[in-house]
Amino acid sequence: MKKISDFINLYKPFTKAGIQSAMAYRTSFLCFALGQSIYCFVMYFIWKAVFMSSGESTFMEFTMADMTVYVFLSNLVGFLTNSDSTDNLADEIHDGSIIMRMIKPVNVDYSILTFEVGNKVMIITCIFLPVMIGVEIYRYAVLGYVAFSIVNFLIFVVSVVLSYLLSFYLNLIFGYLAFFLLNIWGFSILKGSIISFFSGALIPLAFFPGIVRTIFEQLPFASIIYVPTMIYMGKYSALELVFVLSKQLFWLVVFVVISRMIWGWAQKRLAVQGG
Amino acid sequence: MRFLRLYKTFIIQHIKKLMEYRIDFLTGAMSFFINQVTNIVFIGIIFSQIPNLDGYLFYEIIFIYGFSLVPKGIDHLLTDNLWKVAWFIVRKGDFDKYLTRPISPLVHCIIESIQFDALGELLTGIILIVIASVKLSIKFTFVNVVLMIIAMIFGAVIFTAIKIIGAAIAFWIKQSGSILQIFYGISDFARYPATIYNSVIRNVVTYIIPFAFTAYYPASYILRGNNPLFCIGGVIVAAMVLLGISLIVWHKGLNAYESAGS
Repeated sequence: MKKISDFINLYKPFTKAGIQSAMAYRTSFLCFALGQSIYCFVMYFIWKAVFMSSGESTFMEFTMADMTVYVFLSNLVGFLTNSDSTDNLADEIHDGSIIMRMIKPVNVDYSILTFEVGNKVMIITCIFLPVMIGVEIYRYAVLGYVAFSIVNFLIFVVSVVLSYLLSFYLNLIFGYLAFFLLNIWGFSILKGSIISFFSGALIPLAFFPGIVRTIFEQLPFASIIYVPTMIYMGKYSALELVFVLSKQLFWLVVFVVISRMIWGWAQKRLAVQGG
Repeated sequence: MRFLRLYKTFIIQHIKKLMEYRIDFLTGAMSFFINQVTNIVFIGIIFSQIPNLDGYLFYEIIFIYGFSLVPKGIDHLLTDNLWKVAWFIVRKGDFDKYLTRPISPLVHCIIESIQFDALGELLTGIILIVIASVKLSIKFTFVNVVLMIIAMIFGAVIFTAIKIIGAAIAFWIKQSGSILQIFYGISDFARYPATIYNSVIRNVVTYIIPFAFTAYYPASYILRGNNPLFCIGGVIVAAMVLLGISLIVWHKGLNAYESAGS
């Protein structure tokens, strides 16, 4: 117990700073969210046209209501699990300010993580909850009954936390690349497109043909967006749930171990110029 | 002449910078390529289940998609610096340097950089148009081709004008990148037939932020022979009106500009 309260006391200021920084940049942050929702509406209308043109009520076992929930939910999950640690870490490594983190009696990844959690508080209250309520109202209007399941939602929360941590450590590993490369801008963009393709952000992985789908579902990217979204929609059986959640946990552990290894190695060869 | 000489100097400077960051360029181009593949796979998956989308065949959608990349690519190639104005040049007070030079600040901003990644966009667009045209056996006449090229150029002007307006907002509020992002995001609607949207969105992308003229309308003229006066003439009118507005906004912004930073 004492350990936990020590941890909270130690990292609380980081979270607080994260909330303050999110407040300071709220305009650009809300604009970004608005831009993202435009994209959701484009997808919504495309799917609507698809359903109109096919004349059938399901598309590969997804109804129009399913599709709408998927489009908005996968974007929300993208928001919740997105991490800026690649760019922030790379900046700190380049200008040497990473040393300010290292001389503090805190763990480097926890200090970045708890700062970002502050950011997420803002995202959850200003974006996630309103959009989720909107989605549920839509679902109720279309289906005529409450499709929201509290059990699914709780499992979803667990899954999102896992996928955020997973995405955080993946981003951290990319950030550490800055120790070895002069400029990681290109890699950062590349990482973004890889994630958006393989995570199911644009196309539900269930739509890919047999073997491709199986491969994609095993990759760590699927655990970032696709898995939590499908959990929210209640698309998994109990057995599948155990399987996908353990897969998330597995990839999380893998990424934590890799990031610790790189960090340990980079620390030894780190040389900061000037001061 | 003086302008061309200047432009050449700027481009040479830019190529030097590019050579320094080769890996960035390659990874950037690669990620762009993955994005395009994603979108085409998406369209492919949709068409694996349905014969047409709102009456449009697979290759017609590909044609419109490819068409949308060309004006966007031209604009991206030539005027990418406007994003920097919106995001940080004004905020950091770096805009002052443009004011001290003997050329128009807007022209200077634009010619300062040339974004070669955009060649990927242009190339992909042209390849998709060619493939779709062959599959649909579209008959290209001299008039068709000329009108298509005109529409692409003026389509690019629509993008540029919107970027000028978005960047100019930074003169009042210091940082307008996120606002510009929203304007720009609306161009996503242009990649698909405007007929699939509801009337509100259709009117917005036709008459207010006329991105539908950068791809869907001119493409529908080539594909279906829809009214050329509206489909091609509309591009020119929309581009000129928007360019006029953007120049007014830019100059008003310049007058309101107070240097930031120290």
